Amino acid sequence: MSKLINSKKFGSEQGSIGSFIVSALFIMVGIVTLYDTMSYSDLDSKVFPRAAAIVLILCSSISLIFGLLKPTAEEGFGQGSWWRRLLLVITMLISCFAMPHLGFLGASAIAFIGGLIAAMHGQWTSKKLLLYWGSGALIMIAFYVLFKMVLQVPLP
Amino acid sequence: MDILSLLANGFAVALTPQNLMLAFLGCFLGTLMGALPGLGPANGVAILIPIAFSLGLGPTPSLILLTSVYYGAMYGGRISSILLNIPGDEPAMMTCIDGYPMAQQGKAGQALSLSGIASFVGAFFATCGLVMLAPQLVKIALLFGPAEYFVLFTVAFATLGGITSTNQAKSAFAAALGLGIAMIGSDSQTGSQRFTFDHIHLYDGIDFLIAIVGLFALSEVFIFLEHHRSGSVTSSNVPKVTKILPDLKMLKSCIPTITRGTGLGFFAGVLPGAGASLGSFLAYSLEKQTVDRDGKTFGKGDPRGVAAPEAGNNAASGGALVPMLALGVPGSGTTAVLLAVLLQLNITPGPLLFTKNPDVVWGLIAALFIANFMLLAMNIPLVSLFTRVLLVPTRILMPVVAMISFVGIYSITGSTFDVMLMVGFGLAGWLLRKLEVPLVPVILGILLGNQMEVNMRRAMTISDGEWSVFVGSPLAIVLWIIAIAGFVLPMLYGRKVKARMEAASKEEIVKN
Repeated sequence: MSKLINSKKFGSEQGSIGSFIVSALFIMVGIVTLYDTMSYSDLDSKVFPRAAAIVLILCSSISLIFGLLKPTAEEGFGQGSWWRRLLLVITMLISCFAMPHLGFLGASAIAFIGGLIAAMHGQWTSKKLLLYWGSGALIMIAFYVLFKMVLQVPLP
Repeated sequence: MDILSLLANGFAVALTPQNLMLAFLGCFLGTLMGALPGLGPANGVAILIPIAFSLGLGPTPSLILLTSVYYGAMYGGRISSILLNIPGDEPAMMTCIDGYPMAQQGKAGQALSLSGIASFVGAFFATCGLVMLAPQLVKIALLFGPAEYFVLFTVAFATLGGITSTNQAKSAFAAALGLGIAMIGSDSQTGSQRFTFDHIHLYDGIDFLIAIVGLFALSEVFIFLEHHRSGSVTSSNVPKVTKILPDLKMLKSCIPTITRGTGLGFFAGVLPGAGASLGSFLAYSLEKQTVDRDGKTFGKGDPRGVAAPEAGNNAASGGALVPMLALGVPGSGTTAVLLAVLLQLNITPGPLLFTKNPDVVWGLIAALFIANFMLLAMNIPLVSLFTRVLLVPTRILMPVVAMISFVGIYSITGSTFDVMLMVGFGLAGWLLRKLEVPLVPVILGILLGNQMEVNMRRAMTISDGEWSVFVGSPLAIVLWIIAIAGFVLPMLYGRKVKARMEAASKEEIVKN
């Protein structure tokens, strides 16, 4: 399995599938854009967004067709694990939602912990735990003090 | 004489203690950012934009800080190329070919300082070129009407993929996506709500800084953190930097090399669609053709192979500022980010910038000269310190970048919705980069979309709805020809040029 994942063919296929999905997605975005322009009462407001939407649909279609006819050896999504990617995004979004309730420090702690877990590929040891979490706490507090106290940024 | 007196005024602006300190800070941070493998000047500037705005600085100091970061990052890119054989950014790719073998031969310090000197000369003369050429370009730009401006923006989009672009369809849909994002919000002329879907937060449109920080800075965090990089850089695999100054003989042999590289790099920077990567490639190739036709020394640690691409890419970075300042059209990713900074500061680049805000533009140019001297002074004695940055674990560094982005955007907008939007852009940036969709056209679309639409409407109003206005002047026709050539040529030659660049780089490395 790992051989297959590491193989160039898999990367190429994965890249083609990714390009296919993105092209299809942008065609849909273009259609939604065209649909939205129908609600504008003024003709002047329609011209430019419609032109952009048509270019988007045309070029995405060309990319999609070429991707199907002549798949190129793109890297695709690579070998990073999806749980790490998801964890990163989820913790960042949770951190955004939590910011008004927990404050900047609390929200940053969530994002930092999520990022650190996602980025830690090796074995956790007590030394690493102490070093990374300690330096993380130090960095967060330093940033908070710098922005809130020194730069007078109204952080929550 | 007029230019000299304006430049003197610029120096009066740039030489204030605050601006000097900001230039120093920008150079230092820029070199650190550039030294990190994978982080280029565009990311470096994007990461530091929120900090510049959090500091509450005026337009000139903010610009001085961020352009110093730009120059610093261009200098810093060479460090990981020479010491680790990993280019800090794409333009530094060619520096690996001879820089790394020099480091392996125990000449890491000499390679770093020689490349620092070449970078200095390249950037210095490019800034001189900027002083000479930009005011001349302004005179031409004053002939532009709305129709010509519309076509000029089209040129920017058509050529941004560059000659090495392998998929123009992707560049085009990326630009269309950016233009679509720029349309979000109330139409400034008719008041129609476009793509807001009755969401109150979108009525004012999307602040392009949110998009830039998300697409460039946060997507970089996602890419860095998902990869297993631990243990790749340790103190044992970073070569020791011992003798720092290059000997006189070495320097003397590199003078013609640096001169040729500077000239070629500057013109590559000014031309739309060329940029620093091509500048460094052309400078290296020309040098190899000129002094080492048989391939005896190049690729084996020839100092001229380090000096040529460094002079070329730093000269190109100065050259890229010419169209950005004089026409308001960026020729590269980093200048697109700098354009965003200018627009955020309510300064519209273009011909009127030189008459309306001479203090800003000449202060900025003077600051570039000062930053360049600072970088030379900083890069030779502090080179050992900058190599230390390679040892900082990315799992600590990247959360810091994320934090800067979060706090910076929050301090500018004060809205958690905008912070979420930034995460969304970060995610989109990660996805697009993974699928090799260029981000710069997206940014350019967001930045220039409204101006492009305004100019199109003006032209149509003047011509009473006649579309032929867009081909109604010789200038517009010339611009259309450039746009078409800039879009079509990469389709014909893009893959070949890119393959040649990559093959040249790989071939030399394999030889070693």
